[in-house]
Amino acid sequence: MKKFTLKWPLIITASLLAIFTFIVPLYGAALYSFKGNGGKGHSWVNYQWLIHADGFYPSLFTSLKLAVLAAALNLLLMVPTMVYLNLKGQRFKSLVDFLCILPLIIPVVSLAIGAQVAMPKFLQNTQYELVFFFVIIALPYTYRALDTSLQTVALKTLVEASRSLGASWTRTIIRVIVPAIRSGITGALFLTFALSIGEYTITSLLHWETFPTWTVVAAQQNILGAIAISVFSFVGAIALLSAIALFPKRGSQRVEVEE
Amino acid sequence: MLPLLPFFIFTGYFLIWPVIAVTLRSFHGNKNEWTLANYRPILHKGPYFHAFVVSLKLSIVTSIIGSLLGAFFAYVIVKYARGKFGAVIDSISAVFANSGGVPLAFMFIAAFGVEGIVTKLLKDLGWDLYAGHFTIFSFTGVVLVYSFFQVPLMVLVFKPAIAGLRREWFDASINLGASPLTYWRRVGIPILVPSFVGAFFLLFAGGFSAYATARALTVGTVPLVPIIIGTLVDGNVISDQTNLGDALAVGMIVVATFAMAGYIWAGRRAARWRNS
Repeated sequence: MKKFTLKWPLIITASLLAIFTFIVPLYGAALYSFKGNGGKGHSWVNYQWLIHADGFYPSLFTSLKLAVLAAALNLLLMVPTMVYLNLKGQRFKSLVDFLCILPLIIPVVSLAIGAQVAMPKFLQNTQYELVFFFVIIALPYTYRALDTSLQTVALKTLVEASRSLGASWTRTIIRVIVPAIRSGITGALFLTFALSIGEYTITSLLHWETFPTWTVVAAQQNILGAIAISVFSFVGAIALLSAIALFPKRGSQRVEVEE
Repeated sequence: MLPLLPFFIFTGYFLIWPVIAVTLRSFHGNKNEWTLANYRPILHKGPYFHAFVVSLKLSIVTSIIGSLLGAFFAYVIVKYARGKFGAVIDSISAVFANSGGVPLAFMFIAAFGVEGIVTKLLKDLGWDLYAGHFTIFSFTGVVLVYSFFQVPLMVLVFKPAIAGLRREWFDASINLGASPLTYWRRVGIPILVPSFVGAFFLLFAGGFSAYATARALTVGTVPLVPIIIGTLVDGNVISDQTNLGDALAVGMIVVATFAMAGYIWAGRRAARWRNS
Protein backbone atom coordinates (compact mmCIF):
# COMPACT_ATOMS: atom_id res chain seq x y z
CA MET A 1 0.00 0.00 0.00
CA LYS A 2 2.86 2.29 0.84
CA LYS A 3 4.21 1.85 -2.69
CA PHE A 4 1.11 3.32 -4.26
CA THR A 5 1.37 6.49 -2.25
CA LEU A 6 5.04 6.91 -3.13
CA LYS A 7 4.97 6.11 -6.82
CA TRP A 8 3.59 9.30 -8.31
CA PRO A 9 5.35 11.79 -6.03
CA LEU A 10 8.64 10.09 -6.93
CA ILE A 11 7.98 10.10 -10.65
CA ILE A 12 6.81 13.69 -10.60
CA THR A 13 9.80 14.90 -8.57
CA ALA A 14 12.22 13.07 -10.83
CA SER A 15 10.54 14.33 -13.99
CA LEU A 16 10.50 17.93 -12.79
CA LEU A 17 14.15 17.70 -11.73
CA ALA A 18 15.11 16.14 -15.06
CA ILE A 19 13.17 18.71 -17.03
CA PHE A 20 14.67 21.59 -15.17
CA THR A 21 18.27 20.38 -15.09
CA PHE A 22 18.51 18.72 -18.51
CA ILE A 23 15.69 19.59 -20.86
CA VAL A 24 15.49 23.32 -20.12
CA PRO A 25 19.20 24.06 -20.79
CA LEU A 26 19.06 22.01 -23.98
CA TYR A 27 15.86 23.75 -25.06
CA GLY A 28 17.34 27.12 -24.11
CA ALA A 29 20.43 26.48 -26.17
CA ALA A 30 18.32 25.33 -29.11
CA LEU A 31 16.25 28.53 -28.98
CA TYR A 32 19.42 30.58 -28.73
CA SER A 33 20.88 28.92 -31.80
CA PHE A 34 17.93 30.13 -33.89
CA LYS A 35 18.50 33.77 -33.01
CA GLY A 36 18.84 36.08 -35.94
CA ASN A 37 21.52 38.68 -36.60
CA GLY A 38 22.14 40.87 -33.58
CA GLY A 39 20.05 38.55 -31.45
CA LYS A 40 16.78 39.61 -33.08
CA GLY A 41 14.00 37.32 -34.26
CA HIS A 42 14.32 33.71 -35.31
CA SER A 43 16.20 32.42 -38.31
CA TRP A 44 18.50 29.78 -39.67
CA VAL A 45 21.29 32.29 -40.04
CA ASN A 46 23.63 30.57 -37.54
CA TYR A 47 23.23 27.23 -39.22
CA GLN A 48 23.83 28.83 -42.61
CA TRP A 49 26.96 30.48 -41.28
CA LEU A 50 28.05 27.09 -40.00
CA ILE A 51 27.77 25.38 -43.36
CA HIS A 52 29.73 28.09 -45.13
CA ALA A 53 32.35 28.64 -42.43
CA ASP A 54 35.99 28.01 -43.25
CA GLY A 55 37.11 24.64 -42.07
CA PHE A 56 33.66 23.21 -41.39
CA TYR A 57 33.80 20.46 -44.00
CA PRO A 58 37.52 19.64 -43.74
CA SER A 59 37.39 19.28 -39.96
CA LEU A 60 34.13 17.34 -40.05
CA PHE A 61 35.58 15.05 -42.69
CA THR A 62 38.75 14.50 -40.64
CA SER A 63 36.69 13.64 -37.57
CA LEU A 64 34.47 11.22 -39.48
CA LYS A 65 37.47 9.53 -41.04
CA LEU A 66 39.33 9.13 -37.76
CA ALA A 67 36.18 7.93 -35.98
CA VAL A 68 35.48 5.27 -38.60
CA LEU A 69 39.07 4.04 -38.44
CA ALA A 70 39.02 3.99 -34.64
CA ALA A 71 35.76 2.03 -34.55
CA ALA A 72 37.12 -0.49 -37.05
CA LEU A 73 40.47 -0.92 -35.29
CA ASN A 74 38.70 -1.25 -31.97
CA LEU A 75 36.58 -4.16 -33.18
CA LEU A 76 39.50 -5.80 -34.92
CA LEU A 77 41.45 -5.74 -31.67
CA MET A 78 38.72 -6.38 -29.14
CA VAL A 79 36.44 -9.00 -30.71
CA PRO A 80 39.11 -11.75 -30.90
CA THR A 81 40.48 -10.69 -27.51
CA MET A 82 37.10 -10.88 -25.80
CA VAL A 83 36.15 -14.15 -27.51
CA TYR A 84 39.38 -15.82 -26.41
CA LEU A 85 39.01 -14.36 -22.93
CA ASN A 86 35.54 -15.80 -22.48
CA LEU A 87 36.47 -19.11 -24.06
CA LYS A 88 39.85 -20.13 -22.68
CA GLY A 89 41.59 -17.15 -21.18
CA GLN A 90 39.74 -16.93 -17.86
CA ARG A 91 43.10 -16.67 -16.09
CA PHE A 92 43.81 -13.36 -17.80
CA LYS A 93 40.39 -11.90 -17.37
CA SER A 94 41.13 -9.79 -14.32
CA LEU A 95 44.28 -8.39 -15.96
CA VAL A 96 42.44 -7.44 -19.17
CA ASP A 97 39.59 -6.08 -17.09
CA PHE A 98 42.06 -3.91 -15.21
CA LEU A 99 43.76 -2.64 -18.37
CA CYS A 100 40.38 -1.75 -19.85
CA ILE A 101 39.34 0.24 -16.77
CA LEU A 102 42.61 2.19 -16.77
CA PRO A 103 41.60 4.73 -19.44
CA LEU A 104 38.80 5.87 -17.14
CA ILE A 105 41.29 6.39 -14.34
CA ILE A 106 44.41 7.74 -16.00
CA PRO A 107 43.63 11.40 -16.73
CA VAL A 108 43.39 11.89 -20.47
CA VAL A 109 45.55 14.98 -20.14
CA SER A 110 48.35 12.88 -18.63
CA LEU A 111 47.96 10.30 -21.38
CA ALA A 112 48.29 13.06 -23.98
CA ILE A 113 51.48 14.42 -22.39
CA GLY A 114 52.79 10.88 -22.21
CA ALA A 115 52.01 10.37 -25.87
CA GLN A 116 54.09 13.41 -26.72
CA VAL A 117 57.01 12.00 -24.80
CA ALA A 118 56.71 8.38 -25.82
CA MET A 119 55.52 8.19 -29.42
CA PRO A 120 58.11 8.09 -32.19
CA LYS A 121 58.41 11.12 -34.50
CA PHE A 122 56.94 9.47 -37.59
CA LEU A 123 53.74 8.71 -35.69
CA GLN A 124 53.54 12.17 -34.16
CA ASN A 125 53.76 13.68 -37.62
CA THR A 126 50.50 12.18 -38.79
CA GLN A 127 46.97 12.79 -37.59
CA TYR A 128 46.36 9.03 -37.71
CA GLU A 129 48.18 8.72 -34.37
CA LEU A 130 44.88 9.91 -32.86
CA VAL A 131 43.16 6.72 -34.01
CA PHE A 132 45.21 4.63 -31.57
CA PHE A 133 44.37 6.89 -28.66
CA PHE A 134 40.69 7.00 -29.58
CA VAL A 135 40.73 3.21 -29.37
CA ILE A 136 42.35 3.40 -25.93
CA ILE A 137 39.76 5.88 -24.66
CA ALA A 138 36.92 3.69 -25.90
CA LEU A 139 38.30 0.49 -24.29
CA PRO A 140 36.24 0.65 -21.06
CA TYR A 141 33.01 0.90 -23.03
CA THR A 142 33.90 -1.65 -25.71
CA TYR A 143 35.00 -4.12 -23.10
CA ARG A 144 31.72 -3.94 -21.23
CA ALA A 145 29.54 -3.98 -24.35
CA LEU A 146 31.27 -7.04 -25.81
CA ASP A 147 31.59 -8.87 -22.51
CA THR A 148 27.91 -8.49 -21.68
CA SER A 149 26.75 -9.81 -25.02
CA LEU A 150 29.30 -12.66 -25.08
CA GLN A 151 27.99 -13.89 -21.76
CA THR A 152 24.46 -14.20 -23.12
CA VAL A 153 25.40 -16.68 -25.87
CA ALA A 154 26.49 -20.29 -25.50
CA LEU A 155 29.93 -19.46 -26.78
CA LYS A 156 31.55 -22.83 -26.16
CA THR A 157 28.82 -24.77 -27.92
CA LEU A 158 28.86 -22.46 -30.92
CA VAL A 159 32.62 -22.66 -31.26
CA GLU A 160 32.78 -26.44 -30.84
CA ALA A 161 30.02 -26.94 -33.39
CA SER A 162 31.64 -24.66 -35.90
CA ARG A 163 35.14 -26.10 -35.42
CA SER A 164 34.01 -29.70 -35.59
CA LEU A 165 32.24 -28.94 -38.85
CA GLY A 166 35.62 -27.94 -40.19
CA ALA A 167 35.58 -24.13 -40.01
CA SER A 168 38.81 -22.32 -39.28
CA TRP A 169 39.15 -19.96 -36.34
CA THR A 170 38.84 -16.86 -38.50
CA ARG A 171 35.77 -18.28 -40.19
CA THR A 172 34.27 -19.23 -36.82
CA ILE A 173 34.68 -15.74 -35.49
CA ILE A 174 33.39 -13.98 -38.59
CA ARG A 175 30.55 -16.29 -39.54
CA VAL A 176 29.38 -17.66 -36.19
CA ILE A 177 30.38 -15.49 -33.26
CA VAL A 178 30.06 -12.05 -34.82
CA PRO A 179 26.45 -12.62 -35.90
CA ALA A 180 25.64 -14.06 -32.48
CA ILE A 181 26.89 -10.99 -30.61
CA ARG A 182 25.67 -8.41 -33.11
CA SER A 183 24.04 -6.21 -30.47
CA GLY A 184 27.26 -5.96 -28.46
CA ILE A 185 29.26 -5.20 -31.58
CA THR A 186 26.84 -2.50 -32.71
CA GLY A 187 27.03 -0.95 -29.26
CA ALA A 188 30.84 -1.02 -29.20
CA LEU A 189 30.99 0.34 -32.72
CA PHE A 190 28.75 3.33 -32.09
CA LEU A 191 30.24 4.15 -28.70
CA THR A 192 33.74 4.24 -30.18
CA PHE A 193 32.47 6.28 -33.08
CA ALA A 194 30.65 8.76 -30.83
CA LEU A 195 33.58 9.12 -28.41
CA SER A 196 36.05 9.60 -31.25
CA ILE A 197 33.98 12.20 -33.03
CA GLY A 198 33.63 14.25 -29.85
CA GLU A 199 37.17 13.77 -28.55
CA TYR A 200 38.76 17.10 -27.69
CA THR A 201 41.44 16.66 -25.02
CA ILE A 202 44.05 14.51 -26.75
CA THR A 203 43.37 16.10 -30.11
CA SER A 204 43.95 19.63 -28.90
CA LEU A 205 46.95 18.76 -26.72
CA LEU A 206 48.59 17.03 -29.67
CA HIS A 207 47.70 20.04 -31.83
CA TRP A 208 45.49 18.42 -34.45
CA GLU A 209 42.40 19.97 -35.94
CA THR A 210 39.23 17.93 -35.82
CA PHE A 211 35.61 18.97 -35.56
CA PRO A 212 35.59 19.67 -31.79
CA THR A 213 38.81 21.68 -31.81
CA TRP A 214 37.58 23.60 -34.85
CA THR A 215 34.37 24.39 -32.96
CA VAL A 216 36.29 25.98 -30.10
CA VAL A 217 38.30 28.12 -32.52
CA ALA A 218 35.19 29.03 -34.51
CA ALA A 219 33.41 30.06 -31.32
CA GLN A 220 35.78 32.99 -31.00
CA GLN A 221 34.38 34.32 -34.28
CA ASN A 222 30.75 33.42 -33.83
CA ILE A 223 29.52 32.14 -30.49
CA LEU A 224 25.99 31.65 -31.82
CA GLY A 225 27.40 29.43 -34.54
CA ALA A 226 29.27 27.36 -31.96
CA ILE A 227 26.07 26.98 -29.97
CA ALA A 228 24.30 25.87 -33.13
CA ILE A 229 26.95 23.19 -33.69
CA SER A 230 26.66 22.03 -30.10
CA VAL A 231 22.88 21.72 -30.20
CA PHE A 232 23.10 19.97 -33.53
CA SER A 233 25.63 17.38 -32.34
CA PHE A 234 23.82 16.76 -29.04
CA VAL A 235 20.43 16.23 -30.60
CA GLY A 236 21.99 14.19 -33.39
CA ALA A 237 23.76 11.89 -30.93
CA ILE A 238 20.63 11.36 -28.85
CA ALA A 239 18.55 10.60 -31.92
CA LEU A 240 21.14 8.15 -33.23
CA LEU A 241 21.60 6.28 -29.96
CA SER A 242 17.85 6.13 -29.30
CA ALA A 243 17.30 4.72 -32.76
CA ILE A 244 19.91 2.04 -32.09
CA ALA A 245 18.40 1.26 -28.70
CA LEU A 246 14.92 0.90 -30.16
CA PHE A 247 15.56 -1.18 -33.28
CA PRO A 248 18.42 -3.54 -32.69
CA LYS A 249 16.89 -6.95 -32.32
CA ARG A 250 15.97 -8.28 -35.71
CA GLY A 251 16.84 -11.82 -34.83
CA SER A 252 19.58 -13.52 -36.79
CA GLN A 253 17.74 -14.07 -40.05
CA ARG A 254 20.56 -12.44 -41.94
CA VAL A 255 22.95 -15.24 -41.13
CA GLU A 256 22.58 -17.22 -44.31
CA VAL A 257 24.86 -19.11 -46.58
CA GLU A 258 26.00 -16.80 -49.30
CA GLU A 259 28.30 -18.92 -51.41
CA MET B 1 47.90 -16.56 -24.21
CA LEU B 2 48.98 -16.03 -27.82
CA PRO B 3 45.62 -14.65 -29.06
CA LEU B 4 45.83 -12.03 -26.31
CA LEU B 5 49.20 -10.80 -27.48
CA PRO B 6 47.88 -8.06 -29.83
CA PHE B 7 45.80 -6.66 -26.98
CA PHE B 8 48.70 -6.63 -24.53
CA ILE B 9 51.06 -5.10 -27.08
CA PHE B 10 48.51 -2.44 -28.01
CA THR B 11 47.63 -1.38 -24.47
CA GLY B 12 51.26 -1.73 -23.41
CA TYR B 13 52.46 0.61 -26.12
CA PHE B 14 49.65 3.16 -26.29
CA LEU B 15 48.52 3.21 -22.67
CA ILE B 16 51.20 1.99 -20.26
CA TRP B 17 54.32 3.18 -22.06
CA PRO B 18 53.16 6.85 -22.32
CA VAL B 19 52.45 6.83 -18.58
CA ILE B 20 55.89 5.42 -17.81
CA ALA B 21 57.55 7.83 -20.22
CA VAL B 22 55.95 10.92 -18.74
CA THR B 23 56.78 9.73 -15.22
CA LEU B 24 60.43 9.22 -16.14
CA ARG B 25 60.72 12.60 -17.84
CA SER B 26 59.11 14.36 -14.88
CA PHE B 27 62.19 13.39 -12.86
CA HIS B 28 64.55 14.93 -15.38
CA GLY B 29 65.74 18.52 -15.62
CA ASN B 30 66.65 20.72 -18.57
CA LYS B 31 70.05 19.11 -19.06
CA ASN B 32 68.58 15.64 -18.82
CA GLU B 33 69.90 15.17 -15.28
CA TRP B 34 67.87 13.38 -12.61
CA THR B 35 66.09 15.84 -10.32
CA LEU B 36 63.10 16.38 -8.09
CA ALA B 37 62.95 20.07 -9.00
CA ASN B 38 59.87 19.70 -11.20
CA TYR B 39 57.82 18.65 -8.19
CA ARG B 40 58.86 21.55 -5.97
CA PRO B 41 56.27 24.06 -7.33
CA ILE B 42 53.45 21.57 -6.70
CA LEU B 43 54.35 20.76 -3.12
CA HIS B 44 54.92 24.34 -2.00
CA LYS B 45 52.13 26.80 -1.66
CA GLY B 46 51.76 28.71 -4.88
CA PRO B 47 49.69 28.72 -8.05
CA TYR B 48 50.32 25.05 -8.87
CA PHE B 49 49.53 23.81 -5.38
CA HIS B 50 46.44 26.01 -5.48
CA ALA B 51 45.38 24.48 -8.79
CA PHE B 52 45.39 21.02 -7.21
CA VAL B 53 43.27 22.32 -4.34
CA VAL B 54 40.73 23.85 -6.72
CA SER B 55 40.65 20.73 -8.91
CA LEU B 56 40.12 18.49 -5.89
CA LYS B 57 37.41 20.75 -4.54
CA LEU B 58 35.64 20.82 -7.89
CA SER B 59 35.69 17.07 -8.35
CA ILE B 60 34.57 16.36 -4.78
CA VAL B 61 31.67 18.84 -4.92
CA THR B 62 30.44 17.68 -8.32
CA SER B 63 30.79 13.99 -7.36
CA ILE B 64 28.65 14.57 -4.28
CA ILE B 65 25.97 16.37 -6.28
CA GLY B 66 26.23 13.87 -9.13
CA SER B 67 26.12 10.74 -7.03
CA LEU B 68 23.19 11.82 -4.83
CA LEU B 69 21.03 13.17 -7.64
CA GLY B 70 22.09 10.38 -9.99
CA ALA B 71 21.25 7.68 -7.44
CA PHE B 72 17.78 9.18 -7.02
CA PHE B 73 17.22 9.23 -10.80
CA ALA B 74 18.60 5.70 -11.14
CA TYR B 75 16.16 4.43 -8.52
CA VAL B 76 13.15 6.05 -10.16
CA ILE B 77 14.24 4.84 -13.61
CA VAL B 78 14.79 1.24 -12.51
CA LYS B 79 11.52 1.22 -10.64
CA TYR B 80 9.20 2.92 -13.09
CA ALA B 81 10.77 3.28 -16.54
CA ARG B 82 10.74 0.00 -18.39
CA GLY B 83 10.89 -1.22 -21.97
CA LYS B 84 11.38 1.23 -24.80
CA PHE B 85 11.13 4.30 -22.59
CA GLY B 86 13.88 2.91 -20.39
CA ALA B 87 16.04 2.20 -23.44
CA VAL B 88 15.63 5.79 -24.65
CA ILE B 89 16.52 7.15 -21.20
CA ASP B 90 19.61 4.91 -21.28
CA SER B 91 20.82 6.36 -24.54
CA ILE B 92 20.08 9.91 -23.45
CA SER B 93 22.11 9.34 -20.29
CA ALA B 94 24.94 7.88 -22.36
CA VAL B 95 25.02 10.95 -24.59
CA PHE B 96 24.89 13.39 -21.70
CA ALA B 97 27.54 11.46 -19.76
CA ASN B 98 30.01 10.84 -22.56
CA SER B 99 29.78 13.28 -25.41
CA GLY B 100 29.70 16.25 -23.07
CA GLY B 101 32.94 18.05 -23.64
CA VAL B 102 32.86 21.01 -25.95
CA PRO B 103 29.15 21.09 -26.92
CA LEU B 104 28.21 21.09 -23.24
CA ALA B 105 30.17 24.25 -22.56
CA PHE B 106 28.52 26.19 -25.38
CA MET B 107 25.07 24.93 -24.49
CA PHE B 108 25.54 26.22 -20.98
CA ILE B 109 26.69 29.59 -22.19
CA ALA B 110 23.46 29.74 -24.19
CA ALA B 111 21.33 28.68 -21.25
CA PHE B 112 23.00 30.24 -18.22
CA GLY B 113 25.12 33.05 -19.68
CA VAL B 114 24.28 36.70 -18.92
CA GLU B 115 21.98 36.76 -21.95
CA GLY B 116 21.02 33.09 -21.56
CA ILE B 117 17.51 31.79 -21.96
CA VAL B 118 17.36 30.15 -18.53
CA THR B 119 18.88 33.23 -16.90
CA LYS B 120 16.10 35.37 -18.39
CA LEU B 121 13.45 32.85 -17.45
CA LEU B 122 14.63 32.82 -13.84
CA LYS B 123 14.78 36.61 -13.82
CA ASP B 124 11.16 36.76 -14.93
CA LEU B 125 10.36 34.43 -12.06
CA GLY B 126 12.13 36.80 -9.69
CA TRP B 127 15.52 35.12 -9.29
CA ASP B 128 18.39 37.11 -10.70
CA LEU B 129 21.28 34.65 -11.06
CA TYR B 130 23.69 37.45 -11.73
CA ALA B 131 22.72 39.57 -8.71
CA GLY B 132 25.60 38.09 -6.72
CA HIS B 133 29.02 36.94 -7.85
CA PHE B 134 27.79 34.17 -10.10
CA THR B 135 28.98 33.86 -13.65
CA ILE B 136 29.00 30.78 -15.82
CA PHE B 137 32.78 31.21 -16.04
CA SER B 138 33.31 30.99 -12.27
CA PHE B 139 33.85 28.04 -9.94
CA THR B 140 30.11 27.77 -9.26
CA GLY B 141 29.46 27.91 -12.98
CA VAL B 142 31.84 25.03 -13.64
CA VAL B 143 30.22 23.06 -10.80
CA LEU B 144 26.86 23.54 -12.50
CA VAL B 145 28.15 22.39 -15.89
CA TYR B 146 30.06 19.41 -14.50
CA SER B 147 26.97 18.21 -12.65
CA PHE B 148 25.35 18.04 -16.05
CA PHE B 149 27.55 15.08 -17.00
CA GLN B 150 28.16 13.69 -13.50
CA VAL B 151 24.46 13.01 -12.84
CA PRO B 152 23.83 10.93 -15.99
CA LEU B 153 27.15 9.13 -15.49
CA MET B 154 25.95 8.13 -12.04
CA VAL B 155 22.66 6.94 -13.52
CA LEU B 156 24.57 4.71 -15.94
CA VAL B 157 26.95 3.14 -13.43
CA PHE B 158 24.58 2.90 -10.47
CA LYS B 159 21.51 1.55 -12.26
CA PRO B 160 22.78 -2.06 -12.40
CA ALA B 161 23.30 -2.03 -8.63
CA ILE B 162 19.72 -0.98 -7.96
CA ALA B 163 18.40 -3.40 -10.56
CA GLY B 164 20.38 -6.12 -8.74
CA LEU B 165 18.37 -5.70 -5.53
CA ARG B 166 16.32 -8.84 -5.46
CA ARG B 167 12.60 -8.79 -4.99
CA GLU B 168 12.99 -11.81 -2.67
CA TRP B 169 15.04 -9.81 -0.18
CA PHE B 170 12.28 -7.26 0.09
CA ASP B 171 9.56 -9.94 0.41
CA ALA B 172 11.60 -11.86 2.97
CA SER B 173 12.04 -8.74 5.10
CA ILE B 174 8.35 -7.94 4.94
CA ASN B 175 7.43 -11.52 5.82
CA LEU B 176 9.72 -11.34 8.81
CA GLY B 177 7.78 -8.31 9.98
CA ALA B 178 9.91 -5.41 8.74
CA SER B 179 8.40 -2.21 7.45
CA PRO B 180 9.62 -1.00 4.02
CA LEU B 181 11.60 1.65 5.88
CA THR B 182 13.33 -0.99 7.99
CA TYR B 183 14.04 -2.97 4.84
CA TRP B 184 15.84 0.01 3.32
CA ARG B 185 17.66 0.84 6.54
CA ARG B 186 18.82 -2.69 7.33
CA VAL B 187 19.03 -4.41 3.93
CA GLY B 188 18.69 -2.22 0.86
CA ILE B 189 20.98 0.65 1.71
CA PRO B 190 23.76 -1.48 3.29
CA ILE B 191 23.85 -3.57 0.10
CA LEU B 192 23.97 -0.50 -2.12
CA VAL B 193 26.63 1.40 -0.16
CA PRO B 194 29.69 -0.29 -1.75
CA SER B 195 28.35 0.28 -5.28
CA PHE B 196 27.53 3.85 -4.37
CA VAL B 197 31.02 4.47 -3.03
CA GLY B 198 32.57 2.85 -6.11
CA ALA B 199 30.49 5.02 -8.42
CA PHE B 200 31.44 8.06 -6.36
CA PHE B 201 35.14 7.35 -6.94
CA LEU B 202 34.52 6.93 -10.65
CA LEU B 203 32.73 10.27 -10.79
CA PHE B 204 35.54 11.81 -8.79
CA ALA B 205 38.18 10.55 -11.23
CA GLY B 206 36.12 11.76 -14.19
CA GLY B 207 35.54 15.20 -12.74
CA PHE B 208 39.16 15.55 -11.68
CA SER B 209 40.55 14.90 -15.14
CA ALA B 210 37.84 16.53 -17.28
CA TYR B 211 39.44 18.99 -19.65
CA ALA B 212 37.35 19.85 -22.69
CA THR B 213 34.36 21.44 -20.96
CA ALA B 214 36.41 23.60 -18.62
CA ARG B 215 38.77 24.58 -21.41
CA ALA B 216 36.02 25.70 -23.78
CA LEU B 217 34.09 27.39 -20.97
CA THR B 218 36.59 29.21 -18.80
CA VAL B 219 39.66 29.90 -20.90
CA GLY B 220 41.67 29.82 -17.71
CA THR B 221 39.47 31.83 -15.34
CA VAL B 222 39.24 28.89 -12.96
CA PRO B 223 42.72 27.46 -12.27
CA LEU B 224 42.35 23.71 -12.77
CA VAL B 225 45.31 21.35 -13.11
CA PRO B 226 44.34 19.98 -16.55
CA ILE B 227 43.89 23.51 -17.90
CA ILE B 228 47.29 24.57 -16.57
CA ILE B 229 48.92 21.54 -18.17
CA GLY B 230 47.22 22.49 -21.41
CA THR B 231 48.62 26.02 -21.21
CA LEU B 232 52.10 24.66 -20.53
CA VAL B 233 51.86 22.34 -23.52
CA ASP B 234 50.68 25.15 -25.75
CA GLY B 235 54.04 26.76 -25.30
CA ASN B 236 53.70 29.36 -22.56
CA VAL B 237 56.61 27.81 -20.76
CA ILE B 238 59.27 29.59 -18.78
CA SER B 239 62.61 28.12 -19.81
CA ASP B 240 63.45 26.47 -16.49
CA GLN B 241 60.09 24.75 -16.26
CA THR B 242 60.11 22.57 -19.36
CA ASN B 243 59.21 19.43 -17.47
CA LEU B 244 56.86 21.05 -14.97
CA GLY B 245 53.91 19.92 -17.11
CA ASP B 246 55.14 16.33 -16.79
CA ALA B 247 55.24 16.64 -13.01
CA LEU B 248 51.71 18.03 -12.97
CA ALA B 249 50.55 15.18 -15.21
CA VAL B 250 52.13 12.64 -12.85
CA GLY B 251 50.52 14.43 -9.90
CA MET B 252 47.16 13.92 -11.57
CA ILE B 253 47.90 10.25 -12.12
CA VAL B 254 48.74 9.89 -8.41
CA VAL B 255 45.43 11.44 -7.35
CA ALA B 256 43.60 9.29 -9.89
CA THR B 257 45.34 6.18 -8.55
CA PHE B 258 43.85 6.80 -5.12
CA ALA B 259 40.44 7.10 -6.73
CA MET B 260 41.05 3.86 -8.61
CA ALA B 261 42.09 2.06 -5.42
CA GLY B 262 38.83 3.20 -3.82
CA TYR B 263 36.86 2.13 -6.87
CA ILE B 264 38.39 -1.35 -6.94
CA TRP B 265 38.02 -1.83 -3.19
CA ALA B 266 34.37 -0.81 -3.34
CA GLY B 267 33.84 -3.05 -6.38
CA ARG B 268 35.07 -6.09 -4.43
CA ARG B 269 32.74 -5.29 -1.55
CA ALA B 270 29.83 -4.89 -3.94
CA ALA B 271 30.60 -8.18 -5.71
CA ARG B 272 30.14 -10.13 -2.47
CA TRP B 273 26.40 -9.80 -2.78
CA ARG B 274 26.21 -10.68 -6.42
CA ASN B 275 28.05 -13.97 -6.37
CA SER B 276 26.42 -15.57 -3.37
